[in-house]
Amino acid sequence: MRAAVLPVVRRALTREPRRLLRLAGWSLAEAAPAFAGGHAVARAVDDGFAAGRPGTGLAWLAVLAAAWLVAAVAARQVLLLVAGIVEPFRDELLEIVVTGTLRAGRGGGTAAVARMNHQVELARDAFGAIITVVRSFTFTLVSVALGISTLAPAVLPLVLPPVAAGLALFLASLPALARRQRDFIVADERTAATVAAIASGLRDVTACGGEARVAAAAGREVTFQARAARALARVTATRTLALAVGGWLPVLLLLAGTPWLLERGLTGGVVLGALTYVMQSLTPALGGLVQGLGVSGVRLAVTLERIVDAAGPPVPHGTRAPEGARLELRGVGFAYGPAAQPVIDRLGLVVPDGGHLAVVGPSGIGKSTLAGLVAGLLRPAEGKVLIGGVPAAEVLPAARALIPQEAYVFHGTLADNLTYLAPGTPVEALDEAVAAFGLTELAQRFDGYDTQIDPAELSVGERQLIALARTYLSPARLVILDEATCHLDPAAEARAEAAFAARPGTLIVIAHRISSALRAQRVLVMDGTRVLMGRHEEMVAASPLYADLVGHWEGRGLPAGAVAENADLPAG
Amino acid sequence: MTTRAADLLILKAVRHGGPWLAALAVTALLGAAAELLLPLTLGRTVDALVAAGPGRERWLAATAALVALVVACDALGVLASGVSGARAALWLRGRVITHTLSVGTTMTRHFTPGELVTRAGVNAEEAGRTPEAVVTAAALIVPSAGSVAALALIDPWLAVTLVAGLLLIVAVLRAFMRSTTAASGGYQEAQGNIAARLVGALAGARTITAAGTEDQEARRVLAPLPVLRAHGLALWRLQARAGVQAAVVVPLLETAVLAVGGLRLSAGDLTVGELLAAARYVVLGAGLGSAIGYAGRLARARSAARRLDRLLAVPPPSYGSRPLPPGPGRLELKGVSVRADGARLLSDVDLVVPGGSCVAVVGCSGSGKSSLAAVAGRLLDPERGTVTLDGVPLHEVAREQLRRAVGYAFERPALFGETLGESIAFGPSESQMDRVRDAARAACADAFIRRLPLGYATPVGDAPMSGGETQRVGLARAFAQAERLLILDDAMSSLDTVTERQVSGALTGSLADRTRLVVAHRVATAARADQVVWLEGGRIRARGPHDLLWDDPGYRAVFQSASAPEASSQVAP
Repeated sequence: MRAAVLPVVRRALTREPRRLLRLAGWSLAEAAPAFAGGHAVARAVDDGFAAGRPGTGLAWLAVLAAAWLVAAVAARQVLLLVAGIVEPFRDELLEIVVTGTLRAGRGGGTAAVARMNHQVELARDAFGAIITVVRSFTFTLVSVALGISTLAPAVLPLVLPPVAAGLALFLASLPALARRQRDFIVADERTAATVAAIASGLRDVTACGGEARVAAAAGREVTFQARAARALARVTATRTLALAVGGWLPVLLLLAGTPWLLERGLTGGVVLGALTYVMQSLTPALGGLVQGLGVSGVRLAVTLERIVDAAGPPVPHGTRAPEGARLELRGVGFAYGPAAQPVIDRLGLVVPDGGHLAVVGPSGIGKSTLAGLVAGLLRPAEGKVLIGGVPAAEVLPAARALIPQEAYVFHGTLADNLTYLAPGTPVEALDEAVAAFGLTELAQRFDGYDTQIDPAELSVGERQLIALARTYLSPARLVILDEATCHLDPAAEARAEAAFAARPGTLIVIAHRISSALRAQRVLVMDGTRVLMGRHEEMVAASPLYADLVGHWEGRGLPAGAVAENADLPAG
Repeated sequence: MTTRAADLLILKAVRHGGPWLAALAVTALLGAAAELLLPLTLGRTVDALVAAGPGRERWLAATAALVALVVACDALGVLASGVSGARAALWLRGRVITHTLSVGTTMTRHFTPGELVTRAGVNAEEAGRTPEAVVTAAALIVPSAGSVAALALIDPWLAVTLVAGLLLIVAVLRAFMRSTTAASGGYQEAQGNIAARLVGALAGARTITAAGTEDQEARRVLAPLPVLRAHGLALWRLQARAGVQAAVVVPLLETAVLAVGGLRLSAGDLTVGELLAAARYVVLGAGLGSAIGYAGRLARARSAARRLDRLLAVPPPSYGSRPLPPGPGRLELKGVSVRADGARLLSDVDLVVPGGSCVAVVGCSGSGKSSLAAVAGRLLDPERGTVTLDGVPLHEVAREQLRRAVGYAFERPALFGETLGESIAFGPSESQMDRVRDAARAACADAFIRRLPLGYATPVGDAPMSGGETQRVGLARAFAQAERLLILDDAMSSLDTVTERQVSGALTGSLADRTRLVVAHRVATAARADQVVWLEGGRIRARGPHDLLWDDPGYRAVFQSASAPEASSQVAP
C-alpha cells in the first residue's frame, strides 16, 4: 500500500477512539463461544454424559448455547460499530474524490464519475471486510488460547506454534498474492476497456478494414488477462497450504500427543474439548482471515490508490490583488508539451485598463489557450502575463472572471446562480443585471429568483445568459468571454457585449462571430503563424485572413460560388 | 433450441481447458470423499487413543493421510479450477471478439455496445467456469449429503434436526434478500444524486477553476452525504439483523446435535469419538446450502453460454475474391433497397457517381442519407439491388482490397491505435508516415496535432479533443486510406466554418482524383459538389447541380431544418 493512502486508513480507525474500545468489548463478548466451547464440551462429557449424569451434560451444553446467543447479540453490535467506522471512511473517500477532481479543474463525464463511485464502494466493502476478519481472528485466537490454558495448559504447545507458523506462512505469501491480484484486476479492466472500444467503434473498424489489427491487439489483452488469472490461481493454491499448516496441523499434533496427555491425567472429554477449540473456533477464524485479507486487502489497496491518485494535482490559486485591470503580455510562449509545437509564441500585447479587445481566428488556433493564460488557468512557459502588474497566476481569482463556451449553471435557485461570484448582492442589482441581459422573462417563468432551477430545463442560450449576468454582477475588473455568447442570437450577443463594455474594467472577447470584432476597440487576429493586433479597419488591410473572415461572415444568401475556393489561409 | 448449442459451446470451451479439467475432477471427487471420511476416522482415532487400544497408530496414520489428501486436493483443485477456467474463458473471449469483428457493424443491430462488453467479459467468465461449477457443486454435495446420511446412521433424529435447521437458514436468507433490495434503493439514489451533482460541476470545471470556487462547489456536491450515510447505516442494521439470525442457527443446531448425541453417549450407544464425528458432520452438512448455491451458478453459466451462442450465431458477411480492375472509382447503385426492423430506409435507389466526381447527398434527417452512405461502401448489404465499384459488385471484392479502395469518415469517428499517428494510419495495413501527414494536412489536423505534447506520437487517451478535432482526425484517416472512393457521412458537421472551407478546398483540390460521396447539411458543401442527390423518405426526390435545385423552395427548406442555428443564420437570405 502506498504511503499516501495510509493516513486515510489511520484516520478512519482513530476517528473515534471510544468506538474502538466499545468494539473491543463487544468483540470479546462475540468470542464467548470460542472461550466457552471447549470447556462446555469437556465438562458435558466428563462430568455429565460419560459420568452417567445426563442432566449435568445438558446443563453444560445449555451454557454453550447461552454463549452462542450472547455472541449473536454481540455480533450485531460489532457489525453496527464497524458500520460506524466504515461509513465515515466512505464519506471521506467521497470527499477526496469530489474535492480532488474539482480542484484539479479538469472536466469529466458521467462514466468517469460512475467509475470513481464504484471504486469508493469497493473500498468501503473491502475495508469493512478487513476490519471484520482481522478483529474476529484476533479475538478468537485470544479466547481459544485462554480457553485451552484454563482447560489443559499442556495442550497449548501443541496448538499455538503450528497456528503461528500457518499465520507466518500466509503473511509471507501475502505480497506475492497482492501483486497477482492487482495484476488480475488491472488486466480485467484493460480487457473490458478494449472490448468497450471495439464495441462502440465496430463501424469504424469495418470501414477501415482494421479487423485483423484490432483482433490482434485485443488478443494480446485477453491472453495477458488469462495469464494473470493463471498466475493468481497458482498463488491462491499455495495459500491453501498456509491454511493447512495453521488449521490441520494442530489437530494432528493434538491426536499424536493424546497418549502423552492421557498419561498426564487428562480425560477423553478434555481431548474432545481441545479438538472443539481448534476445529470449531480457530480453523474457521483462520480461514476467514486468509480469505478476507487475501482478497479484500489487495482490493482496498488498489482502490484506495486509485481514489487518492485519480484527481491529479490541484490548480493553485493566487492571492494578490492587482492594481487596476491593465493586461500586458510580454514575450509569452506556451506549448502543451516539450515535444509539441508552441501554441503561442513570443506574444506581446497591452490592453489598457478599461480596454476592449476581440480575439479572432479559426478554431484550434490557440484562442482558448490565450484565454486560459490570462485567466491564470495555464502558466506561460516563457514570458509574463501581467494583470495590473501582477502575474496572472498569482492574481486573486475574484479579480478576474472567465466565461467559457459551456456556461455553468447548477441545481439551485436563480439567485444562487446569479450571485455565485458576488454573494449578498442586493435584489435591485439583480433586477438590473437580469434586465440588462434579457433574462426578465426567464425570471418570471421561474416565479422569481428563489425557485430551484434544473439546468437541463434551460436552453444553452439561457444558460449562457445566466453565466453572463453572474459575471456582470461579480467584482471582477477583468472579464474574458471565451465564445461565451456562441448560443445567443446576434441581437442578444450585441446587448451582452454592450453591457460588459459599459461596465468598468477590461473586456477580452474571444469572438464567435465577426460582429464581436466590429464592436471592440482593438482586434487580435491569430492565424497560426503570426499574431496581429490593431483596429478593425487596420486589420482588414493588414490580415488577409481577417479580411477573408469579414467577407465570409458577412456573406449572406451564399449562393454557389460565393465562397472563395482557395481562401488565402495558411495551411493548418 | 439454443440450449443444446449452448451446451456444445461449453463442451468446446471445456476442451480448451486442457488436462487441467481432468485434474480438477479427480481432485474434487477425491477431496470430497476424503472430507466425508475424515470425521469418521477422526472419531475412531480419538476412541482408539482414549481406549489406548491396539490399532491406535494405524488410525492416527489414516487420519494424517486423509488430512494430507484433503489439503492436497484442495490446493490442486484451486489451481486446476483457476487454470482451466482461465483457459476456457480465454478461448471464449477470443471467439466473441473475433466473431464480433468479422460480423462488423451489423453486430450493433443485434447487440448494444454494453451487451457486447458483458458478453466478452462476465458472460465468457461465467461460461468458462461451468466445469468448475459442476465439479465444485458435486464436490460440495457429496460430503454434505453424505454427512446427513452419516448422521442418520449414527442417529436418525440428529439428521432430522439438521435438515429442519437448514430450512430455517434458507428462510431467513430469503427474507433478507427481499428487504435489502428495498433498502439499497435509497442508498443508490443518494449516491446517484451526488454523482449527478459532480458531473454537473465538472461540466463547469473551467468556470469553477477560474473563479477559485472549488471548495464551495465540493460542499454543494457533497450536501446529500448525510442522507447517503443514513441509508448506508440502515443497510448495515438490516444486514446485522439477518446475519445474526443466520449465524446463530448453525451453532445452535450443533449444540442440539451434541445434546442428543450426549444423551446417547450416556446410554452407552455412542462413543466420545462418535460424538466428535457427529459434531463435525453437522458442520459439513450445513454446507448443503452453498452446494445449492453452486447449482444456481451452474444455471447462470448455462444461460451465459446461451447468450454467447446467440452472438456467435449472427452470420458474418462473406467477402469475395475478385480483384478490382484498374478504374477511376465509378460507383453505381441499381435498384437498391434497405430495410431495418421493418422500416424502409432506402427504396429502389438508382445512382451513378462517375469516377473522380463529387456527389453531395442531402435530405432531412431520416431521409436515408446515412443508409445510402453505408451501402455505397458496403458497411451494409442492401436487401435488394446491387452496388458496383468500377463494374465489380461490392460483395464479390476481397475484403482487404475493398477497404483499401473505399475510405469512410463519420460524424463521430471512433479512433483505434495507440497514438494519434497510428489512429490516422489505421487500416488493413498501416499507412506510411508521410501519407499520414499529407492526409492530416488536408483534413486541417496537422497543425493541432503538432501542438499536442508528443505531436503525432501523443497517445489518443492523452489528447483531449473537441468534437471538431476528432472529426478532423477521422477525416485524415479516411483521406489516408481511400484509393478510389471517399465517403463522408456528415463528417464535417462540427468543424467551424473556416476549417470546413479549408477541408472542402482539399476535397476539391488535392483529393479531386478520388470519387467523393458527401452527406452534408450545409449549403456550402452542396454548392461545391458536381452533383447533388436530394433524398426524401428513402427515395431520390431530385438530382442535379445545386444551382438548379436551389430554385425549389422544398430543396431550400432541407437546409433550414437540418442546420444548426448559427449555420442557418449565415445561410438565411
